[in-house]
Amino acid sequence: MTYVERLRRPSLALATVLAVLGFLLVTAVSTARASKRVEAPRKTQLIKLIENRRSSVDDLDQAVKQLQKQVAAAQTRANRRSRSDASAAAKLAQLSLAAGTTAVEGRGLVVRLADSDRQPPAGDDDGAYRIHDSDVQLVINALFAAGAEAVSVNGSRIVATTPIRSAGDTIVVNFRPVTPPYSVVAIGANAEQFGASEIAGRFHRWVSLFGLGFSVRQEGKVSVPAFTGRVAITSADPAEQSTAPAPTPAPGGGR
Amino acid sequence: MLALLGLLVGAIIAIVVHPTVSQEMSRYVALAVVAAIDSSLGGVRAYLEHTFNDRIFVLAFLSNAAVAIALVWVGDQLNADLTTAIVVVLGVRIFQNVAAIRRRVFGG
Repeated sequence: MTYVERLRRPSLALATVLAVLGFLLVTAVSTARASKRVEAPRKTQLIKLIENRRSSVDDLDQAVKQLQKQVAAAQTRANRRSRSDASAAAKLAQLSLAAGTTAVEGRGLVVRLADSDRQPPAGDDDGAYRIHDSDVQLVINALFAAGAEAVSVNGSRIVATTPIRSAGDTIVVNFRPVTPPYSVVAIGANAEQFGASEIAGRFHRWVSLFGLGFSVRQEGKVSVPAFTGRVAITSADPAEQSTAPAPTPAPGGGR
Repeated sequence: MLALLGLLVGAIIAIVVHPTVSQEMSRYVALAVVAAIDSSLGGVRAYLEHTFNDRIFVLAFLSNAAVAIALVWVGDQLNADLTTAIVVVLGVRIFQNVAAIRRRVFGG
């Protein structure tokens, strides 16, 4: 059989192999396309999901505030009925004031903390040019030490169980991200006492060194919103041996 | 002629059947395709150099694809990325084959 003859001879095996090639080619291409189609919308879906959840959290916050108002109104109504109710209601009001579940207003300080607007020099630690969770914690602690009775950060009430921590570059208060500048409102805090605190002194240094934003303003009437998170304590029971009265909860989560 | 017809028939079957390949398997399929393209170009080159033998071609085609898939599998077991190695080697061979075909067709 000459070479040319062999070329002319239709080879079934060759045709089959090329059929396999064609099959594989189309399969691979269609698979790659399908996986791309699946991946592309997933990111936008996730972003949409986060935004939806955030707005529903905000809605629920509003609902909690509304219901707290209704509860307060119902309590004042019940209050008028009998003397025992009145004393219970007074006690409840006092307790919820201490627990932070009522919105309050009064004379207080507004402390504003902001990241530096300076460009950190190359090679320098850029962490010094930003406000950290520990800065917020120390400022809140100093405010409580200066006599603050109710404190909020960017509208988030600080209660005994409030965590202040960072998730990446974001500071999270009460499990909600807060964005700079941070406005810490403290009702009842003494301006001189806070100004004499260690953290205030440190911040004054940092303002000139790193350009951090730090200002303290005394205001005649500021308001602090109610805590909208979960306050019910279900698992923890008071220890039986303790005869001493329960200490007042450490402010700012005791951090 | 029959060979090209075979290619077409295979493609049409794939379009009609529309096989679904899972995420892990798609890498193997892609590698098999690259290996198959390499051996087809090798076949064309052999044809132009008058050394084409369909039995060798079929064997080379199947063994190339099989070895490529086996290497990817071994790489997965060893947690080493052999996919890149295979793609590089096959890519170089594809370019060499194309260059040889070009020299045959256009001379030089």
